[in-house]
Amino acid sequence: MSVSNHPTKTPSSGHTPIRRRHRSDLFQQALRLPIVIWQGLFFIAPLCFLVAMSFFIVRNYRMTEAFEMKNWFKMLSRDYFWDSYGLTIGLATLATLVVTTVAFPAAYTLAFRVSEATRRWAIFLLIIPFFTSYLVRIFSWYVILAESGVINAMLDYIELGPYVMLNTKFGTIIGYMTLTLPLVIILQTFSLANIDRRLVEAAHNLGCRPWRTIIRVVLPLAKTGFIIAAVFCFILSFGDFVSPYYLGGSKPPTLPILIVDTVKSGQQWPRAAVVAVVMMVTLFIVAFGGIAAAYRRRTA
Amino acid sequence: MADALVEFDSVVKRFGDFTAVETMNFTIHEGEFIAIMGPSGCGKTTTLRMLAGLEEPSEGEIRMQGRVMNHLPPHERDTPMVWQSLALFPFLNARENVEFGLEMRGVDAAARTKKALEWLDRLEIGEFAERDINSLSGGQKQRVALARSLVTEPKILLLDEPLSALDANLVIRMQSMLTRLQRELGITFVYVTHSQSEAFAMADRVVIMSRGHIAQIGMPRDIYRAPENRFVAEFVGRNNIISGTVKSTSGKMVTIAGSLGQFKVALGGVHQPVVGDAASFVIAADLVHLSTTKPKAGNMIECSLISEEFIGSVVTLFLEAPDGSEFKVQIQERELSDMDLKHMGRVFVSWASDRAHFIGAC
Amino acid sequence: MKSDRVLKWFLYGYLALVLIFIFAPIIFSVIFSFNSDRFPTIPLGSFTLKWYETIWQDPDVWEAARTSLIVSFSVATIATLLGFATAYTDYRYRFKLKPLYLALILLPPTIPLIIMALAMLAWFAKIGLAGKVASIIIAHSVLTAPFAMAIIRLRLSQMDATLEAAAWNLGADQWRALRRVIVPFCRPAIVSSFCLTAAVSFDEFAIAWFISGLNKTIPVIILEIVTGNIDPQVNAIGSFVFLTSITLVVIAQVVLMTRDKKEKVNHG
Repeated sequence: MSVSNHPTKTPSSGHTPIRRRHRSDLFQQALRLPIVIWQGLFFIAPLCFLVAMSFFIVRNYRMTEAFEMKNWFKMLSRDYFWDSYGLTIGLATLATLVVTTVAFPAAYTLAFRVSEATRRWAIFLLIIPFFTSYLVRIFSWYVILAESGVINAMLDYIELGPYVMLNTKFGTIIGYMTLTLPLVIILQTFSLANIDRRLVEAAHNLGCRPWRTIIRVVLPLAKTGFIIAAVFCFILSFGDFVSPYYLGGSKPPTLPILIVDTVKSGQQWPRAAVVAVVMMVTLFIVAFGGIAAAYRRRTA
Repeated sequence: MADALVEFDSVVKRFGDFTAVETMNFTIHEGEFIAIMGPSGCGKTTTLRMLAGLEEPSEGEIRMQGRVMNHLPPHERDTPMVWQSLALFPFLNARENVEFGLEMRGVDAAARTKKALEWLDRLEIGEFAERDINSLSGGQKQRVALARSLVTEPKILLLDEPLSALDANLVIRMQSMLTRLQRELGITFVYVTHSQSEAFAMADRVVIMSRGHIAQIGMPRDIYRAPENRFVAEFVGRNNIISGTVKSTSGKMVTIAGSLGQFKVALGGVHQPVVGDAASFVIAADLVHLSTTKPKAGNMIECSLISEEFIGSVVTLFLEAPDGSEFKVQIQERELSDMDLKHMGRVFVSWASDRAHFIGAC
Repeated sequence: MKSDRVLKWFLYGYLALVLIFIFAPIIFSVIFSFNSDRFPTIPLGSFTLKWYETIWQDPDVWEAARTSLIVSFSVATIATLLGFATAYTDYRYRFKLKPLYLALILLPPTIPLIIMALAMLAWFAKIGLAGKVASIIIAHSVLTAPFAMAIIRLRLSQMDATLEAAAWNLGADQWRALRRVIVPFCRPAIVSSFCLTAAVSFDEFAIAWFISGLNKTIPVIILEIVTGNIDPQVNAIGSFVFLTSITLVVIAQVVLMTRDKKEKVNHG
């Protein structure tokens, strides 16, 4: 067995022929296949079934397998669907813009203005939220943002408010930020920290002032990482159920909420599947577009 | 002559379109220290890897003690290797590293430990047996790697540029240790290196490779004094190669005429030059006589001095011959200071015919 | 330059604010769990342990905790095994369609949870796994395997390329070399993967809700409490879950960092 796994050619001179050994094949397959089978059965299959399900029919609260376009027509012709679609895209886009902007000064500080040790501690801190319950954090916000909650109580001391923050788009955005901000900061920080510092020095050397250097040199160099971070932010926000439900009041509903509502009322799984498929196609397009933009090279 | 241990029979190795090793034929004898040497990309490491079973020959056979090895996977061969990176297992201590090969053969724990400690003692690092690999110095790690390969008492040991990562003074010490070890054990060492000094210092025979084929095999001294082709002549030692056509032959002498004049070269008996053939000869830089006055007769060229390279007791002079080509001379430093040569000064180089070495057309 | 110093302190302050924003809900959750008010606000009510007492005595919560532990342990095992096999395959072999192969394990985090939940629930119902603990375990392992793979793959890229060949050279066949060389070398990454995937599984909510059916895990209990009425017990549960996860994460980090340090110091 060779390390590089190059397939060896059969010699033309008639000397000893090379046969593929059975033993090494077994080893390779034993390690390579499990994931294929597992993901095939439990990741690909459910998604394929989801798409198929969007063509099923529900009669008398029972779902039967079929191939009909009825669900698609019904769903895509409803105003409330397109309203929800627009709302979800709008909120996700807004969240992406807000989070990207809010994250940047923090990422910049971590990449350029603190010591290596501090940066590592900061990254460690930023990883902690991943291991807390997102739901519990949202619930915590619910209490903090409530009309008689912590924030309004504090504002009361300085004779301001009370402000309504729950059951609004503001609440939803706060929730999206809670979900995505740590990840975006981490990705942006790594992006910035990995750019070639000598290029920045060269820019300064050529007379470019600090602020301008950031815009003309640093950001273009970190472009890929920033776009990837934004794509992740969009995908996570777009697909999130928890924030718009608990902090946003769930009316008007975003697409994830629409899915849950559709399932809860009348067991309309096929219709929910339609929404899900539309969501996936949207995200697919966004992801592809994002990655293409991230890795696009300037042609001469 | 010792028995053949390993035979390479018309071995070819290709990687896709690239041929790393071309129709290679040679034999490794039992008990010899053989070095395979050449510039990067010449195929020496590929050859070693084929011997170890990490690459399969595309064509041809590799036989060990008569048995065809081509399909034998690495773990079924007995060809332990000392790696360039040493490849010591970082999660095992020194003794456990050495025991590894024995463990794979099913030797029981007590016997393994005993043998491992014997070998560590033999290589004078017994006191480091229980130490973490990461805490050892470069030289100590080298010895652990050696012990690990030798503990199973193989017939052949492969070494892939093992000294390339060591400091210069350590290299000298390790070289003498390796030579001594090989003689004591009497096993075959196959040593791959790009360093001429390493190969020549340690090996009984040297294989010089270039671009996938063998340029010359022989004992170090023979290669040094009798390079068989231009590549070896240029790669090994400091040589001057002069080309021309065969003007005449008589007995053991041949006269070659070229742009630098006519020269008589003694023949070794191998070649039978034909008048009119293109031919070249090699005259080593240290076999040349230097003078400021023109010699009376014999092989000579008038040159001008361009530069000097001072290595210590020996100086290499770079001269320019009348046709613009470079001519190298190596003389003792004290000789040079007696001569009082000036830059661009006129000097004569001369040599006896039996000092030159005939090589065919090249 | 003075303006530079001002900028520096502004940036530090900003960073602090961002971190406060991120940690506020976590910290408040812990504070509220010791707070007597049902609807915590400022000024805080009195210190109390009653919420902890309530969940401590609730058999449902214990049942859910037990299930969560079993689930996360199983998930960690499966995810780490799959992650290891895939990471090793990526490290060692080149083959056609490799990008597709890698996409198989790396795509799940990019699909919104709600969609995965919907798809999995429907599919599991179809193949007869609905409402069983196995379905949660499978779902979580699909979602966490990518992280295990990434961690172990990173560790493999730090390995001396000749280490495996050296093992073969010394007489170990591929299986033995895997067991005696690759796995021991990857041990820190394997332990980390195990801890991290267990932690993530322990927290996961959406999938568990949709799929669990009759089996309740901690996130489901939380959800029930939340949709019912706001109950500070949630904070207590949340803190407990947080503590468990953090412990696992810290173990993972410490294991990784000590190994790193040891190797760095001695390789000079």
